[in-house]
Amino acid sequence: MSTEILENLKKAVMEYDHEGAATLARKAVEEKVDPLEALNALTVAVRQVGDGFGRGELWLPDLIGAAETMMSVMPILDEEIERKGAKRQSLGTVAIGTVYGDIHTIGKTMVATLLMAEGFTVHDLGINVTAETFVEAVKKYKVDILAMSALMTTTAPEQRKVISALKEKGIRDKVKIMVGGGGITQKFADEIGADGYDPTAPGAAKLARTLVGK
Amino acid sequence: MMAMKGFTRRFKPLEILTEEQVGEIHRATLAVLWETGVTFHSERALKDLEKNGCKVDYDLKRARFPEYLVEEAIHRCSSSYRVKARDPKNDLVIGGDTVYFRNFPGMQTVDLDTWEPRDPTRQEYNDLITVLDALPNLHAISPYPYYGYEGVPPVMRIPEGVAIKIRNSTKVQMTGNASDSDQFNIKMVKATGGEAILMAAGSAPLTWYDDQIRATYRAMEVGFPMYILQGTISGATGPATVVGSVVVNLAEQLSLIVLVQLLTPGMRVAIASDTYPQNMKSGVPGFGRIGCALTKAVENQMARSYGIPTRDSASGPVSSKKSDFQTGYEKALNALVSALAGANLILIHGSLYGEITAHPLQAILDDDIAGMVGRFIEGVTVSDETLAVDLINEVGPIPGHYLNTAHTREWWKKEQFVPRAADSLAYPEWKKTGKKGALDYAKERMEEILATHKPTPLTPGQEEEIERILKEAREYYRNKDLISDEEWAVYMKSLESLNYPYG
Repeated sequence: MSTEILENLKKAVMEYDHEGAATLARKAVEEKVDPLEALNALTVAVRQVGDGFGRGELWLPDLIGAAETMMSVMPILDEEIERKGAKRQSLGTVAIGTVYGDIHTIGKTMVATLLMAEGFTVHDLGINVTAETFVEAVKKYKVDILAMSALMTTTAPEQRKVISALKEKGIRDKVKIMVGGGGITQKFADEIGADGYDPTAPGAAKLARTLVGK
Repeated sequence: MMAMKGFTRRFKPLEILTEEQVGEIHRATLAVLWETGVTFHSERALKDLEKNGCKVDYDLKRARFPEYLVEEAIHRCSSSYRVKARDPKNDLVIGGDTVYFRNFPGMQTVDLDTWEPRDPTRQEYNDLITVLDALPNLHAISPYPYYGYEGVPPVMRIPEGVAIKIRNSTKVQMTGNASDSDQFNIKMVKATGGEAILMAAGSAPLTWYDDQIRATYRAMEVGFPMYILQGTISGATGPATVVGSVVVNLAEQLSLIVLVQLLTPGMRVAIASDTYPQNMKSGVPGFGRIGCALTKAVENQMARSYGIPTRDSASGPVSSKKSDFQTGYEKALNALVSALAGANLILIHGSLYGEITAHPLQAILDDDIAGMVGRFIEGVTVSDETLAVDLINEVGPIPGHYLNTAHTREWWKKEQFVPRAADSLAYPEWKKTGKKGALDYAKERMEEILATHKPTPLTPGQEEEIERILKEAREYYRNKDLISDEEWAVYMKSLESLNYPYG
């Protein structure tokens, strides 16, 4: 029974079926399926969609659809994990946002979604985020990775400003910094002393794993 | 009064919607404006909208628009208007069947050997504008078009660009704004005569941020025309369907048009959109795809039904990184459809990938596309003289021919458009002259323009005034702490050059 539920959960994610996935997650809880195993099934499904994307067989709406289906049933499983006193394994904590002066949201949201699906705990700070807000978030959430997006070359220098602010507060070394967005290049990322850059959202999710050594 | 001639479409525009479909899209837009409304991150705008009949939710920062207000605002828009240039012969009369062409910006220049982007020098920025000033089929100059040059801190990139445009061209320019830079842009334009077309850029879906609203109020105050720009990406920030994205765009555009027409009736506006299909692989917009033209054909028809002019960017940004075959077809196909569909200002010159890169060489190549498209929409004249029955009877069958007739001498140049940077040689000559292609001709033309074209200079008083306003802007941003010590040092050093500002 448990195997069947897990297989169906995977299938629901791969069919972007929020409602079906939620029903199955509740069923898993009722039938006392290990919630960590259920969570694992979801992650495997999202990875499979990610692989399909990498092979050019699936497209962004598929990737986002699968990741969001997974996210939508997480609260059900999280509640059960907590009730059982188990601990959900997180690859690490990420704070992500689009820098000040820049209101482009799509790329940032794509990366945030994929990071959550990878198993990171993600705090999405939104768009038009000031250096102070980034610094505050690093302190408040004790983040492992700070991820910044800038689409325009006019706003890219904000990323440098955030790194300087972290240095001033003496917490630059406590966090890995990854940058991306249309206005960013590897050269620029190196210049401002970021720890990583990737031009694509799936690449950014892989990069995050590398940065935390997972 | 004389104005820039541009091109005139002499036949009915392409209509891809039936009258019923136009009505359906309009009603859908009204439904969104009333049921969901639009977010304005501006207390001032929300208050003004509420005072005039909108329903406002201050917690959501959302205004909902009743139908009668939207209809009234559309009714108040001018369908045709003049925009004054520094040199009156370059005034534009926007609207109706007139089609103008404009360049599309790129944040950086490209290296013509590697095709990689890099920051332009000040000289290269001056050169780009000089070339744009010289091109016959380019009638207005875009915002930016480069985002500054080497050594300029980000907040000064727009004002420095506006100054370079004023110094090197008498054509009407459009100006963008960021960090309230429009206050300095407006001062510089006023100091040298003429007007600029200002811009408010919304954020899809259904959102206006405060800086753009502040720019809108400043535009209303100064009385310059303003283009209401939206950049819905179909499938990402708007529905994946063409007409669904048009509904999102129109709702956003009309929401701001209501605000400006309520407060400044008759204000000169245009519907402008950077709507492209989403590239579902990379996550960036699918620049240059035929979906761009399809969306614009719908938008142009909708705007025409409102009597509001359009600025059309289907042929602006492309997906190609090089001046190559792909760039050529992405621009040519989209520009032709836009022109047929009744666009008033078509963006084409200079741009390469996205809004990332632009180059004067590409602008020269694109000027030929503009010329070809412009020639096409001018259509044909049917008269006794053009039908030429008397002449045909006179010349008769072979050995008669037309090369030696006065009629040919009079008419061929009016009838033909001859591209300037294209290979049109027969094989023997082509071999003899080094097998040159379009890029080689464009390079030669660029060198020729830069060696010979002298834009109308500013008067010494105007030069002084521009420099004073730039100084004011530099100090304003420095005092606001938006230019770091490090940036300031590099910036000041770049201004010390002996050739400043022209080299």
